[in-house]
Amino acid sequence: MSDFVGIVIVSHSPNVAKGTADMVREMVGDEVKVAYCGGNADGGLGTDVAAIHGAIDSVFGAQGVAVLVDLGGAETNSEMAIEMMDEERQKAIVICNAPIVEGAVMAATEAAGGGSLDEVRATAEEFLS
Amino acid sequence: MEPETIKALIRRTHEVILAHAEELTDLDQAIGDGDHGINMKRGFDAIAAAADAIAELPCGKALEKAGMTLVMSVGGASGPLYGSLLMAMGKAMPEAPDSVGDIAKAFQAGVEAVMKRGKSEGGEKTMLEVLLPVATSLKDAGALDIGVLRKTADAGLASTKDMKATKGRASFLGERSIGHLDPGARSSALLIHAVCDVIEGK
Amino acid sequence: MSELPAESSDAKEALASGAATIQDPTGLHARPAVKLTKLAKAHDATIEIRAGEEGKWVNAKSPNAVMKLKAGSGEILFVRAQGAQADEAVKALVALIERDFEAE
Repeated sequence: MSDFVGIVIVSHSPNVAKGTADMVREMVGDEVKVAYCGGNADGGLGTDVAAIHGAIDSVFGAQGVAVLVDLGGAETNSEMAIEMMDEERQKAIVICNAPIVEGAVMAATEAAGGGSLDEVRATAEEFLS
Repeated sequence: MEPETIKALIRRTHEVILAHAEELTDLDQAIGDGDHGINMKRGFDAIAAAADAIAELPCGKALEKAGMTLVMSVGGASGPLYGSLLMAMGKAMPEAPDSVGDIAKAFQAGVEAVMKRGKSEGGEKTMLEVLLPVATSLKDAGALDIGVLRKTADAGLASTKDMKATKGRASFLGERSIGHLDPGARSSALLIHAVCDVIEGK
Repeated sequence: MSELPAESSDAKEALASGAATIQDPTGLHARPAVKLTKLAKAHDATIEIRAGEEGKWVNAKSPNAVMKLKAGSGEILFVRAQGAQADEAVKALVALIERDFEAE
């Protein structure tokens, strides 16, 4: 289903990442593709560029991907993962400046309504405004 | 660059990170999330494990591969930061670097990549407090002076103690970050000393 | 209902409106707000809702706006729509509220 913007959730904690994705699926439904990753290679707190890259890749479609992150390193590592994508793809991936849980639900709701990548990002970022 | 030199650099940086992992973690526990030691150890373990493959490459490619290894293994912000440093250095390094100028140019490119990745210009209690003055010192040096490099790195590190963090996790502490050395600056200084050790043949 | 969009007088497009009472004891909380937004987005119409007679009309397709209504249990949600699917949209949204946001 590449008709909808895909959502990627990147948290330092695997449990937060999975919980956020579960919440999105339960509240918004299954039509929007949601991928998540959290924790470092040893299973501790952290974020892993390879895992983020894989998560983005798994939901990438014609409408692009919105990424929701938690603290510092999650954003830095997500930027790195995006830069490792094909240049064409990079243009269709955005990191939303929004709280991870609320932003993910808002982004997915907008995506499920057929919103464009810009609209999805705006809806996620609007939450705090 | 000789494969043996690359191997020696990998061995020495790995040793130094292992020996100081606990110290880095302690520093990070004071002002960050306490994972800097373990993250750096994981990254340099991964480089050490790939030492043979890295050492076969020309100098620039070896740096790029080492950087990518850090990016893929560290699992914290230090992975992309150090990874960007090495990858950008590698890209800017001539096939056969033969002067301090070549090294200085490559190092400058690496530091600029860290600034871009970390969205910092320096002065914010980060690894840049060590990297920036070292880059300047290399650029201005006619000949390689290891003593000056070591002193520059140490002075940069020391300067972080009285700085207030405005970047990264430590920035949440604001004023309370004052009085602690920055763990990223400490690891940068350690790595510069490790490279100096190899150049001096230690 | 008498609540029509202000600009409706010269509009040629179909207009529709309706209302229903929120039954959930916790009011229009996050999950129903998402359901309402999703349903609104599925219709080709400009759709607005408000909580109570005095409430401010907000875009029913904006999850942020709908959640910020903080409409409580027993409050009446007013729905108005304009556009090709205005009728269907109002009927569908009113039905959703009336069945307490349960799936059909």
